[in-house]
Amino acid sequence: MEFEAVIGLEIHVELNCATKMFCDCPNNPGDDPNTNICPTCLWLPGAIPRFSAEALEKASLLCLGLGAELQPKSAFDQKVYYYPDLPKGYQLSQAHLPLARGGGIDISDEDGKTKRLRIHHIHMEEDVAKLVHEMEGRLPISLVDFNRAGSPLVEIVTEPDFRTPHHAMEFLKALRTQVRYVGSSECSMENGTMRVDANISVRPKGTRQMNTKVEVKNMNSIRHVGDAIAYEISRQSQAVQAGEAVVLHTRLWDPEKKVTLPMRGKFEGPCVPDPMVPVIELTPEWIEKMRVRLPEMPAARAGRFVKQHGLTGEEAAFLSEDPEVAVYFEALVVRGIAPRTAMHWLATQLLPAVKERKMELASQPVTPERFAALLKMLAGDEINANAAREVLTHLFESGESPEEIVKARGFKQVSDAGALEAMIDQALATQAAAVADFRAGQGKALGFLIGQVMQASGGKANPKIIRELLAKKLNAVS
Amino acid sequence: MDSIFFYRNPDSAASGDGALAGLNIAIQPNISKAGWPVDAGSRALANFTALEDATVVDRLSRSGAFLCGSTKTSEFGFGLAESRAGEAVKQKIADTELVLDMTGEARLAAAAAGVCGFKPSYGLVSHFGLIGLIPSMETCGVLSSSIQNIRGILKAVAGPDEKDFSLPDESVPDFTAQLINPTKTAIGVPAEAQSDLTDEQRERFRLSIEELSQAGFAVREVSFPEWPLFLAVHKIVGSVEASSAAGRYDSVRYGERAPGAKNWNEMYLASRGASFGTLLKSFLFQGAFFQFQRYTAYEDACRIRARLVADMKNLTGEVDFLALPVSGGASDPNPATLDETYRQFACTAFANVTGQPALVLPPASKGQAPLQLAGPRLSDAGLLSLGEHLLKLREGGK
Repeated sequence: MEFEAVIGLEIHVELNCATKMFCDCPNNPGDDPNTNICPTCLWLPGAIPRFSAEALEKASLLCLGLGAELQPKSAFDQKVYYYPDLPKGYQLSQAHLPLARGGGIDISDEDGKTKRLRIHHIHMEEDVAKLVHEMEGRLPISLVDFNRAGSPLVEIVTEPDFRTPHHAMEFLKALRTQVRYVGSSECSMENGTMRVDANISVRPKGTRQMNTKVEVKNMNSIRHVGDAIAYEISRQSQAVQAGEAVVLHTRLWDPEKKVTLPMRGKFEGPCVPDPMVPVIELTPEWIEKMRVRLPEMPAARAGRFVKQHGLTGEEAAFLSEDPEVAVYFEALVVRGIAPRTAMHWLATQLLPAVKERKMELASQPVTPERFAALLKMLAGDEINANAAREVLTHLFESGESPEEIVKARGFKQVSDAGALEAMIDQALATQAAAVADFRAGQGKALGFLIGQVMQASGGKANPKIIRELLAKKLNAVS
Repeated sequence: MDSIFFYRNPDSAASGDGALAGLNIAIQPNISKAGWPVDAGSRALANFTALEDATVVDRLSRSGAFLCGSTKTSEFGFGLAESRAGEAVKQKIADTELVLDMTGEARLAAAAAGVCGFKPSYGLVSHFGLIGLIPSMETCGVLSSSIQNIRGILKAVAGPDEKDFSLPDESVPDFTAQLINPTKTAIGVPAEAQSDLTDEQRERFRLSIEELSQAGFAVREVSFPEWPLFLAVHKIVGSVEASSAAGRYDSVRYGERAPGAKNWNEMYLASRGASFGTLLKSFLFQGAFFQFQRYTAYEDACRIRARLVADMKNLTGEVDFLALPVSGGASDPNPATLDETYRQFACTAFANVTGQPALVLPPASKGQAPLQLAGPRLSDAGLLSLGEHLLKLREGGK
């Protein structure tokens, strides 16, 4: 029997707000343990939650960026359970009235066809404290770090529209791009600002039934989400084929063994409306104000790049994925660099060089002004591509302008026919075999001869002129 | 006297400035004053010292009032078992006393002490720093033999607070005394509120109502058929909120931790078991039952509450004020069980459910019962003026 999977995702995104969700403590969970705490996030007696306006704005921008509809009325509930990571016996979360409903992301499926993956709703909630388990001699102890308690989160709950690991991974990549675009979070699974749980069930292909699902957690990269889903589909398919029943439970992904393993059932408590956090009422005017703050989203920007700059869809999508790259690209084009040259040099030279140096595009020394100046010299035949690559290396290390570097280090391209002719004659005289090959009709011998002349020039010769002169000489002598 | 107080302010009263200068105020140890022990009457908070002033405390201090100490309270202020609320005012050790009113505690304590007790409208006074149990129902009550003092305190503490976002965005009432014209003031007496009274209590209450008629007010009986639902709603919604509110007393960050637990579930059970008294445990169990086992009953109770609020609004639209007994039935003056505790508050819980203000006046004569007056939400200034009008008439009549 052939099976298909029905998959839905629950994605927690930690908002990059300056403060926590219900108090003014810095939202820096990574600081020294228990340094970003106050009576409110420790829930000392008499403390009252004060909902942060910044959290509401960042969460709302995220919702709008994903095409979800902000609800005129949303509210916090108490998710009741007892655990030492939860300082008050309940977590404030929007269980009954979420901030936004609907929305979704278009991805390319395995056949390159567009598939719409819908979002059911997006709600806000506070993060809990972090538990650290250690041994004090032979005595196990549990330490609680409340720095993370009260950090602002949103949870994106999708419809069960996903069928394959590919769908899930493409969705998460696009989600990450879009959330980064609106600036609400870094969305990194590796550092925990995006956490993904997958709900997976299988059914005979072609049927419409919804079978018992299994929840899989503990994936810390998008790749792992794909692997865990693939594993779980095959595990469940085999189980069903063997006549075993799938029971509702939670499993953890083991990245080393590449398997999912059942975890002990977590107690799910009730959700009661919270009497202290006021109901959130959003007016159409406020929502419009948020919408105006929304930047151009990646799909729209890619479409514009194709139309305005004549790029291919693939190139435009590549540049639009990271808003910093897109902004950098347009900064080059504005400075008169041909879009294709800008795209090519950005993708193949600058970005790899930045990555290699573990720098950020926005803060590294090769500003769009300097890089554009370099590319202009290339376009004007003042330097060749070899020299441009070397000048780029120097731009990372020195504060000089590309023009100064070219001048000081003699990268200027040799286009002077007289000087080149001498080098060509020299090459023709010493490489008789190559000349003979060329005459015998072996075209690639020409490339070899060009290389010899280039070498003689110390890499500075203008390859176009060498080719012209060389061809003329070879043809004249024969 | 020391048996009344849980903590006495070691400083002596300074002759400060401000509207409340010279006023001697007692609080209870569930109202935070920085540096004072605040155990809220529970072992769960034994040795806990407040880090910040409650907003009410801060505002009273700024107005020049002197806080003389905190009086013994019931566990987390629920019910009046082992509470000494009201006695400091009765014995004139304090001019006024602040007591949390979540079921009617401030009003009942005032009645027992023979002084005035006022429960302001919900949302008028900041909750910041109040260690309560039922956030949507409790508010800081004020006891005094002088309504002028109560008015002065409300003037000082009422109004928006940037530390308490739960306060509704409403304009603060003008607490200036209003002129009361009895012939233009209708007072309704809900028949159902008297249903549990004994014959003797009924007679005393009748005499109290007679005082209103004699003062020229248009008194008439009104009906509130769903009256018994107030207590039912309070039992369910109140205990569910209390169950959540007490969740923070888990012995992880503060409070007492019972020794010997092998894991943290045992740690919770042992510590909470050792920390809470029997009455509070019953209350929390009841709340947990509705949270975990009868959630739909909780949802129903919330819906019924909204209906009761609307019905009460209609009733207080027909008459200006309501007059009711403070307590009734053969209730135990020192209740030990949850049921007995609720029975004590059968005539007061309505105002905690609806959020409306209520004022208790001591009896004018030995034959009378204490009288409870109530008005629509935010009618606090008018209600206090009514009380003042009646007390003045009594003085004049003497």
